[in-house]
Amino acid sequence: MSDSRKEFVKGLITTNPVFVLLLGLCPALAVSTSIDNALGMTLATFIVLLGANIIIAAIRGFVPSITRIPIFIVIIATLVTVVNLLFNAFLPDLHRTLGIYLPLVVVNCMILGRAEAFASKNPMIRSIADALGMTVGFMIALVMISFVRQLLGTGEMSVFGFSIFTLPVLSEHPLAMFILPPGGFLVLGLLLALLRWRGVLKI
Amino acid sequence: MSELIVILLSMALINNIILVRYLGLCPFLGVSRELKPSFSMGMAVTFVMLVASLATWVINHYVLIRFNIEYMYIIVFILVIASLVQVIELFIKKTNFALYSAFGIYLPLITTNCAVLGVTIINMMENYTLLASLVSALGSGLGFTLVMAVMAGIREKLDLADAPKSMRGAPVALITATLLGLAFFGFSGIV
Amino acid sequence: MQVRDALKKAFPVILLTVVVAICVSLLTAVGGITLPRIEAMERERILGMLSDMFPDMTRYSLEEEIYTIYKDEDAIGYAFIAVGRGYGGDVNILVGLEDEATVKGITIISHTETPGLGSKIAEDLFTDQFASADIDDVALTRDGGRIDAVTGATVSARAVADAVRSTAREKIDLIRGD
Repeated sequence: MSDSRKEFVKGLITTNPVFVLLLGLCPALAVSTSIDNALGMTLATFIVLLGANIIIAAIRGFVPSITRIPIFIVIIATLVTVVNLLFNAFLPDLHRTLGIYLPLVVVNCMILGRAEAFASKNPMIRSIADALGMTVGFMIALVMISFVRQLLGTGEMSVFGFSIFTLPVLSEHPLAMFILPPGGFLVLGLLLALLRWRGVLKI
Repeated sequence: MSELIVILLSMALINNIILVRYLGLCPFLGVSRELKPSFSMGMAVTFVMLVASLATWVINHYVLIRFNIEYMYIIVFILVIASLVQVIELFIKKTNFALYSAFGIYLPLITTNCAVLGVTIINMMENYTLLASLVSALGSGLGFTLVMAVMAGIREKLDLADAPKSMRGAPVALITATLLGLAFFGFSGIV
Repeated sequence: MQVRDALKKAFPVILLTVVVAICVSLLTAVGGITLPRIEAMERERILGMLSDMFPDMTRYSLEEEIYTIYKDEDAIGYAFIAVGRGYGGDVNILVGLEDEATVKGITIISHTETPGLGSKIAEDLFTDQFASADIDDVALTRDGGRIDAVTGATVSARAVADAVRSTAREKIDLIRGD
């Protein structure tokens, strides 16, 4: 069991997919304009990553190496299509805001990367632990980025429609740049530098 | 005609695929260290985008829409792009070795480059005509190349700068991207 | 022996084909369950927007992509979907007409404009300007109309105004033709 725990914990900080591996940056920046969107993207990524790791760990014994990557891509694309259809049917608002970035989960290097580097070489339980750890690490990164962007870009903090607090001056004169695309680069760049400077991440 | 020009400018500059849509960030942060490889990578991506847009448009209109299975587009498009990249790689390896050594090595990376799949999905969602799809692919590719090349030019200089240790590498590249992105906002008024 | 060798060589191809076949049949099943629901919800969403726009509506009929809105037996307005081309792509607009010359109101159904800039076209501050506007006046002020553009979103705003005006004229010709 401690083995699985190790695979889970490593995804949080030491091999955090966004901060350390610099994978999945495209969704991490594109949808991090609000915490709601960040959590929605995390849910989509979680379903696909967990499904892919389980299936690939299960079939890894008899997939010849020459067809490995095409088969992984087909499996991941199928899972993404399923998630896309389910979100469209049951979470239409989220489906609309995630837009093109939901189908693009299929090329999130994090998912193919984990399938290829981990699930294809490890047993089921550890692959599940790896998927959970990577998802939580992804969520930590996305929530941190979107917290800063939503706070500075709108001046108020709300999650799933519940307003948590409102900043006095910023809510009237929000710094729209943080919601705009360049703001995503800025927040991620500064967060990375801060985490490295404080020694949370090794350089 | 004017609509095509708007699409071209919009995809290349205003909605730049890297700076605004955040697609193709892996090569942007990974490859763009020197001018020449960045430019070759950009050309390879532009070429694949054009071919992929043509192929996915035909398949979307004559297979997916006809048989009412549009929702399968993700799996179909990614398989089309993956096989296209293989074929193109084989083809230029056999016919034009100079070209292959210029951008052939980047081709395998392109399969999982979200910029290519992104452009084909945008074309589909916007219901572009075949011509408009090709223009949009060209615009995206040129925008990609432009930003890759500009970024590489900046980073060649940046490597000489004495940045704080925790800022080196990715953070400083991301902050450069911020400034580039802000500069590109200046284009939003031109159409 | 030869058969076995051939099988061994063909195995990757067969496996890939099998995987693709399984995935496609799975997707067909999921699509069969979700697609009717997706369509029903889209219809319901449009219906919700229509009843927000025409609070008196009791029923509507849909013919040649024009919704005719009824209060009991009287037609009290029309509605249709206009498509404008913004920066990010298509902007789908639900347009309501009071009569054959006046706009009742507009609602943005979907758009992909830049968040924070172009996306302001979906806010009430912009869309409320269309209420009770004469169709010929639907244009940006700088183009000689009565609609104020949103700061930083001139192209998106113009795309909406122009699409509303030109589609309204087309549809009115159709309505009169009936």
